[in-house]
Amino acid sequence: MMLAHKRIPVLLVVLVLGLLVGVTVTQAQDSVTIKYMLWDTNQLPAYQQCADDFHAANPNINVEISQLGWSDYWTAITTGFISGDAPDVFTNHLAKYPEFVQLGQLVDIQPLVERDSVATDIYYPGLAELWVKDGQRFGLPKDWDTIAIIYNKDLLDAAGVDPAVMDSWTWNADDGGSFYQTIAQLSLDANGNNGLSPDFDPATVTQYGFANNGMGGPYGQTEWSWLTATTGWTFNNGLWGNEYYYDDPRFMTTVQWMADLWLQHGFAPQMEQQTTLGRSALFQAGNVAMVSDGSWMIGTYAGSDFPVGFGRLPAGPEGRKSMFNGLADSIWVGSQHIEESWSWVKYLASPACQDVVGDSGVVFPAIPEAAQRSVDMHLAQDLDVSAYIDQANEADGTFLFPITDYGGDINTIMTEAMDNVGLGTGDAASLIPPANDEVNALFQ
Amino acid sequence: MTTAKVLSVSKSNSKTSLQSRFANNEKLLGIAFILPSLIGFSVFFALPAIRSLFISFTEWNLLSPATYVGLSNYQTLFADERFWRSLGTTFAYVSWNIPLQTVLAIFIAVMMERIQNSSFLRGLIVLPWLLPNVVVALLWLWMLDPTLGIINVGLKAIGLPPQPFLGSPDQAIPSIALINIWRHAGYTAILVFVGLKTIPKSLYEAAQIDGASAWKQFWSITLPLLRPVLVFVLVTSLIGSFQIFDTVAIAERNAGPAGSTRVIIYYIYQQVFERGINMGLATAASVVLFLILISVTLFQLRFLRAGQSDLADYS
Amino acid sequence: MTTRASHYTSPNQIDAPQRRTRSWNSLGTIIAWVVIAVILLITFFPFLWVIRTALTNSDAIFSNTSSLFPVDPTISNFERVLGLVDPASVVSQGGANVSAGVLDFWLYLRNTIIVAGSITIGQCLFSAMAAYAFARFHFPFRDRLFVIYLTGLMVPGIVLFIPNFVVVRQLGWIGTFQGIIAPSFLMTPFAIFFMRQFFLGLNTELEEAALLDGATKFGVFWRIALPLMRGPLLTLAVLTFIGSWNDYLWPLLVGRDESVRVLTVALGIFRQQTPQGAPDWSGLMAGAGVAIVPTLILFVFFGRRVVDSVQFSGFK
Repeated sequence: MMLAHKRIPVLLVVLVLGLLVGVTVTQAQDSVTIKYMLWDTNQLPAYQQCADDFHAANPNINVEISQLGWSDYWTAITTGFISGDAPDVFTNHLAKYPEFVQLGQLVDIQPLVERDSVATDIYYPGLAELWVKDGQRFGLPKDWDTIAIIYNKDLLDAAGVDPAVMDSWTWNADDGGSFYQTIAQLSLDANGNNGLSPDFDPATVTQYGFANNGMGGPYGQTEWSWLTATTGWTFNNGLWGNEYYYDDPRFMTTVQWMADLWLQHGFAPQMEQQTTLGRSALFQAGNVAMVSDGSWMIGTYAGSDFPVGFGRLPAGPEGRKSMFNGLADSIWVGSQHIEESWSWVKYLASPACQDVVGDSGVVFPAIPEAAQRSVDMHLAQDLDVSAYIDQANEADGTFLFPITDYGGDINTIMTEAMDNVGLGTGDAASLIPPANDEVNALFQ
Repeated sequence: MTTAKVLSVSKSNSKTSLQSRFANNEKLLGIAFILPSLIGFSVFFALPAIRSLFISFTEWNLLSPATYVGLSNYQTLFADERFWRSLGTTFAYVSWNIPLQTVLAIFIAVMMERIQNSSFLRGLIVLPWLLPNVVVALLWLWMLDPTLGIINVGLKAIGLPPQPFLGSPDQAIPSIALINIWRHAGYTAILVFVGLKTIPKSLYEAAQIDGASAWKQFWSITLPLLRPVLVFVLVTSLIGSFQIFDTVAIAERNAGPAGSTRVIIYYIYQQVFERGINMGLATAASVVLFLILISVTLFQLRFLRAGQSDLADYS
Repeated sequence: MTTRASHYTSPNQIDAPQRRTRSWNSLGTIIAWVVIAVILLITFFPFLWVIRTALTNSDAIFSNTSSLFPVDPTISNFERVLGLVDPASVVSQGGANVSAGVLDFWLYLRNTIIVAGSITIGQCLFSAMAAYAFARFHFPFRDRLFVIYLTGLMVPGIVLFIPNFVVVRQLGWIGTFQGIIAPSFLMTPFAIFFMRQFFLGLNTELEEAALLDGATKFGVFWRIALPLMRGPLLTLAVLTFIGSWNDYLWPLLVGRDESVRVLTVALGIFRQQTPQGAPDWSGLMAGAGVAIVPTLILFVFFGRRVVDSVQFSGFK
């Protein structure tokens, strides 16, 4: 009994010791290791190549790349700030970085840019400036994306639609233009009527002309921003603005027109269907003839069972417009190796690394020559993705991501309001203005 | 019975000497036994919880020093229509989840008790509970898809209209409740089954002799004697149900269609991870949730007279 | 023995007469079987769907949704999930809906066993001790402390995560096993609540008899009460083990590092490794299937013992 009595404390001590012993001891190192993080697995091989090349040129700096999917990624970055183990360098997004600036977590690299006379004009125009606030710079551009229309060649053939129509199609919020006509023509009901026929029955649709993933929240990057922008509407009063214009009639009519594609016409899957699995799944199931999506999705669509093409966006009242979104690499303020991190960021933003990324074809690098390599790589595989790059090169063909504070709050407020429009709970004209007021109240 | 009588006699004889012999020992031993759990509780439950209470009176983003703001977080919270809506959503989820799950669990347990003592069968029934929430949520997201999901393919095959399930503001919460009932009903049934097995069979035999029907036996013997187990099952599953998060976070995007699945934990989560590390507001909301859980549990414990088993009435 | 038998009758002894005498006839038993069969069907269909989806070629996953059997059956999903083929090559060959993620299965399995195993041992032992003290011993503030513990049950986990994260960080335990294990190693309110309920339901006569025979209180706990609680304890152990096995958010916060990454975290990360489009369903289901195999194997062994102990054969 006494033995047993004593066993417990002993056991306790052993267990607690066991816990303590496991603490890792950091060993002294001659060379420096930089932690780098990104979220897209497809880009991992290309950036690993960059890291290897970089290490060859700078033998004393190791780059350790880790990757997490989109939402885990931001949770990891945020908790990393808090716990003090965020990566030294990480891929940053325009919707997120203002918050990080506000939290004081990003290194202002402007002094370093000036010291090393780094050229910031080698990129597509505007990309580098997106990362500047009040004279401070928080990242160097790495890539960009635009929007195009992806279509199922078989379904277009079956309906007698020539993809060449996309080179000149138009859109307006009143009658939808030839864009609307094509969508209608590609929608079929159970009796085989297409959407142009007066007998078309929206209740028994078997093939949808179009899908865009629902309402797209506050930015609608792939969903509607390429329509609203052609009406002359802008999100807000400019870069780092403090007033949003969601209650503008041009905006509200456009998103209502889009929602009516499924709410009234039956030319697109209901929002419930679009949001749960996503448009790429619907498209690949062969239920949808055309979708709008971004250039980072090329690989996914190219892998469909059927031949796929990439067409231009429709031209609206003020021409063709696509959001031009750019990513950059930022340095965390808590990094122990800011100088080495800076070398790595410089390398990532240089032609040497961006050519490697361009050759891999996973994304369009920020340097035009490197981006062309990406197009060439796809062409070599008989895939013409020039619709994306033509849009980027077109004069006045792009507009920038609306960077302001309160990205998270705006997302919460607008996603709800836009969802309600898409679900047919009410119309845009009555649902959007109160949400817009709530958004603008954030900046008071 | 004779032995018991002898025991109780001898017990009363030696009671005083026994107590004096072990009184000190018991106090010390009690403390020694409690100590490890007390350390764990203090460091990882009590202190963080108290810390949270303090944080709720401050404005803090974890990165710069906190500033005391008094009750302002609570004022913001109570003025936030989304907060009230998230409470409503949580109550809606709980009232779909708990009654259905408990009744179903009792039903399964009684049915299992009817048929053989097959541990294999019980193993099968508890299987869904082995799956991580991540997997369960994704699996059902895939099966419940409005267009491609097998459930809707099945509905269409028998001539019923396809349902949006997780994609519709009206059906999302019931769907999530059903997913979690699928995962937990078997496990809950096993707990109830354990309770069923503790009911002395002699009671049923006696009732049998009195001519009570199976239904009457269930109401007058099974259910009352299940009380301790049911209290346990209800308290734990209710507390868990109020804190529903994983399934919502994985099966829905952006708090569900038009924010219809923003349950209270998701509201708190958003304050920290999506709306700029708003610790003050997040902890204020969790203090409110905590108070709700406490009141519900106390009410439940009182209502169901926990702790005492009705077995005593029969012996 | 007689004292026990008067209150706890072994179900095995009474099974035969019970079937004869209880008013439920064989019709009732048939209904029960039918009901159980339906419930089993509902329980199992999703498991079949995991296997069906995992065996379906990822290119065909969206094109034939009504087939109850794998479309274009292949084990390539398992190969790619387990890293037997290079997923990057699958992606570069234009494989659609393919995650480039790999589960370093054996490493994550080892990590998960270390985490779930340590938590189970620690939590069951220390919680049983505390529960016994609450049920049997008299010491200062006993009841008040128990109520406080119960209150802990109601503190929303999300409230504790952030402060605990800060504590673990101060201890320097981010990215270590002890960081993942620590919060639930010494207790959870649930485990103590659970064990206390069973200790309260345990007849005190055996323990009192042992005390009369001169055993110490500790001896009574260690030699009599604990062995008698083998059933509930094992049940708790299995519950705890599976709970820790399936835990996701906490290990994600403190244990993202490859060296301590557990299976659920790996699976969650794998899930997100599709190019921002539709989930890689076939790969994901293959990963899920693989991830639950160890739990299933454990359950085949421990499940029986739990169910046996559930029948209180441990009282013999």
